[in-house]
Amino acid sequence: MKTVWTLTILLISCAFTPWNARAGETVSPPQQVHVFDTPDDGGGSLTVTWAKADEEDKSLRYQVLLHEPSAGEPKVIAEFASDTHYVRDAKAPWWTRPAPKDMHQFTIKSGKGIDLKDGTPYAVTVVAIAGDQRALAAPMQTTPGPNWFNWNQINNLAIVVIFGFVVLGSIRAAKRREIFLRRIAGLDAVDEAIGRATELGKPILYLTGAGDMSEPSTVAAAVILGRVAKRVAAYETDLMVPHRDPIVMAVCQEITKQSYLEAGKPDVFKEDSNFFITTDQFSYTAAVDGIMLRKKPAANFFMGSYFAESLLLTETGASTGAIQIAGTDSDHQLPFFVTTCDYTLIGEELYAASAYLSREPVQVGTLRGQDIGKACILVALGIGTAFATASVLFHADFSFALDLVKDWK
Amino acid sequence: MTFLRRQLPLLITFVTGILFAAQYYIPHPSSELMLTSVSKWLQIIGGFALILGVTSLFHIHAVKIRRKEAGWGYSFVLYAGMLGTIVIGLWHGGKETTDGVTTAFGWIYTFMMVPLQGTMFAILAFFIASAAYRSFRARSREAAVLLIAAVIVMLGRVPLGEHLIPISGDITQWILNVLNASVRRAILIGISLGAVALSLKIIFGVERAYLGGGKE
Amino acid sequence: MTVAERMLSIDRRIIFLVIGLCTLIPLLYPVGLAIKVSPEVKSVYDYIEALPEGSVFLLSLDFDPASKPELYPQAVALLHHAFKKNLRVIGMTLWLPGTGMANEVVSRVAREDGKVSGKDYVFLGWSPGGSSVIINMGQDLYKAFPTDYNNQPTKDLPVLRDVQSLRDVSYVVSLAAGSTGIETWYVFGKDKYKFELGGGCTGVIAPGLYPLLRSGQLNGLIGGLRGAAEYEVLIGRKDKAVAGMDAQSATHFAIILLVILCNIFYLLIRASNRQAEQNRSERA
Repeated sequence: MKTVWTLTILLISCAFTPWNARAGETVSPPQQVHVFDTPDDGGGSLTVTWAKADEEDKSLRYQVLLHEPSAGEPKVIAEFASDTHYVRDAKAPWWTRPAPKDMHQFTIKSGKGIDLKDGTPYAVTVVAIAGDQRALAAPMQTTPGPNWFNWNQINNLAIVVIFGFVVLGSIRAAKRREIFLRRIAGLDAVDEAIGRATELGKPILYLTGAGDMSEPSTVAAAVILGRVAKRVAAYETDLMVPHRDPIVMAVCQEITKQSYLEAGKPDVFKEDSNFFITTDQFSYTAAVDGIMLRKKPAANFFMGSYFAESLLLTETGASTGAIQIAGTDSDHQLPFFVTTCDYTLIGEELYAASAYLSREPVQVGTLRGQDIGKACILVALGIGTAFATASVLFHADFSFALDLVKDWK
Repeated sequence: MTFLRRQLPLLITFVTGILFAAQYYIPHPSSELMLTSVSKWLQIIGGFALILGVTSLFHIHAVKIRRKEAGWGYSFVLYAGMLGTIVIGLWHGGKETTDGVTTAFGWIYTFMMVPLQGTMFAILAFFIASAAYRSFRARSREAAVLLIAAVIVMLGRVPLGEHLIPISGDITQWILNVLNASVRRAILIGISLGAVALSLKIIFGVERAYLGGGKE
Repeated sequence: MTVAERMLSIDRRIIFLVIGLCTLIPLLYPVGLAIKVSPEVKSVYDYIEALPEGSVFLLSLDFDPASKPELYPQAVALLHHAFKKNLRVIGMTLWLPGTGMANEVVSRVAREDGKVSGKDYVFLGWSPGGSSVIINMGQDLYKAFPTDYNNQPTKDLPVLRDVQSLRDVSYVVSLAAGSTGIETWYVFGKDKYKFELGGGCTGVIAPGLYPLLRSGQLNGLIGGLRGAAEYEVLIGRKDKAVAGMDAQSATHFAIILLVILCNIFYLLIRASNRQAEQNRSERA
């Protein structure tokens, strides 16, 4: 079968090749052509690699031909200049490169008029063209198919697994000994805020943000609510928690109830302390602004993720004279929170807040694990920067080290 | 009962968490099919969550009206608005225009929803100005540096500023592309690590706050 | 109370009035200063300009009416450019409240440019799920949207010829006001299905997207009303965004002036407090 296809393609390409070219051709056919199923993909793709020609000038071009079983003639898939389409240009990490960097590579994918079916053999060849001359490499046959593992992402998997072990190891260490946590000013102010509200006889307003329970910031806000509710229960202060998401409301209701139970004040707990307003952003904001202006809470907590409503909420809260504590991972709203709130937990300080308030080994250990992860990233950044700077200053080639650091995503 | 409230959700979280974490590394079509199927389930659950939200809203305001709590008249307004929009929307099949003619639903959308939402967002401009006047003070050296950078960026982002001080545009670009990008990247790295750690804790059942309740 | 103290505790409604006038007057009496184009906006323009005729361009209008002032002009400019280049335009939205507005802008601009629905463009509408919609579109666009917004079966539409999934789309631009938005399109779209992605966003979230721009995850970024104005200049159709730049200039200058004034009063109060303390300690 393979021989029949080879002969067919050779005959057809001869028809396209001028006689004077065959008589005294100066262009050589591509060498070391290798066609194979594209690795680490879901199928429907073939890759062809071939060696760089000895003389690649502007007049030399390459064509890639695909012979589909149902089609009569091979189809020209692509044509490009000889100084393009190298292995190094493909966005693959060095450990999955199919050939040396200076070889040519072209990937044929299904779509845009091409339909490669998995399990069906195809023949591919590469043609070198210079002016009227064409030189065809021997066609090669292969079968595309899907793969079960994407080796391009192995570094990502390794980092996740290692980081997971670091976090779990840190949690275990935290159970055995005390781990130092730096003071986060915003959290120390939580007690102050609750105390102030109790003295003034005014309620406390706690918002859990715009996200749903799948977002880490909302989970962190719910956890902090538990801690705040416990202290609020002890002082028997009113707590108001308006919600934008019914599922978050249900979860926070349970958390608040449990906190009151743990504080030994189940009779003080109010079912409607957690209430749902609406999912719409600005309708919710208008409703909460109304609550702030009517009830005039003494302390406002803004924990979770926020969008454009952040300034509308905090500025209204500031106008009522409340003490305001915010914590968000929405970095685009940070300037507004920092400007209008008394204390702001920035980014992962929100996640750290849960650990800081509870001092639970699990929370503290996680924090330590994250810090170790950040230290590793800093080291990688330092190494990468040093090598990149050195390669420019000394005109040296540190691409091996830079590629290693570059592909850590 | 404890099994249904505790162990079963933890088991589901663990299995699906591992499964879909692994899915990211498996390019095989069966893996993609699994992801597509679950994405459809999520879309269906999202639809039910909408019903849950509306039902909850109705219930809360029904209680408010029944008890005649403060502001219960507004609950009637909410009922009228919600029911009216639902009925009119269903009548017109959710379409704002039919053959180029604006439907009643389209009228509600164009002349009520769009201006109301726009108004709320527009208030931000005024609040930014009042917050800036109240809080943008050079209390320390760092605050002064922040203030100067803010002024340069405000100048560089408008044609008048670039016209009066041409270099402000280039400095603004540098601040955004170099200083701002690197700081955002740092915050993003921290947040991402926190998110990964939290996700791992939830998958392995170490973090259970999302189930409601405290320690067991 | 000294003058400085009185000025620092001024009624904020006066500030609101100043801002209101600074916005209104330039809109009534425009000046029309030149607008310099930034590289990130030019990147989006250049990419669309380089697309061959008949290429598929997907515009996801992921915003609600609240963000209309900033993102609607971006949508208008991009659509005019795409239609001028005779690209096949797919419009859609991941934000339910923005569906009517998205349909209106796509239909109106298409009508102005003489384009026909189904043949030159299609508006798919909204489907629940956010990231799930992108994943489904990446596998099979017709399963994600079996019909378009006008209930026409998408499978038969000439504009979607040879388009099976997101892999067949030449360029995607997401105009986003938050989440679900550009990052969602990158994580669940471009990273998996390998199409080129550009972004347009409100001014407040633009700085947060610069890391994605610098790393090449986005090929370009149109930020806020300023970005929309730059794009209008590039396509040679000055419209609402350019008109709004005068108001933005005046407002920015007003805020800068207010900030300078508040710092002057603050420093005066600090100096007088320090003086008073010095006098007290001398007397003691």
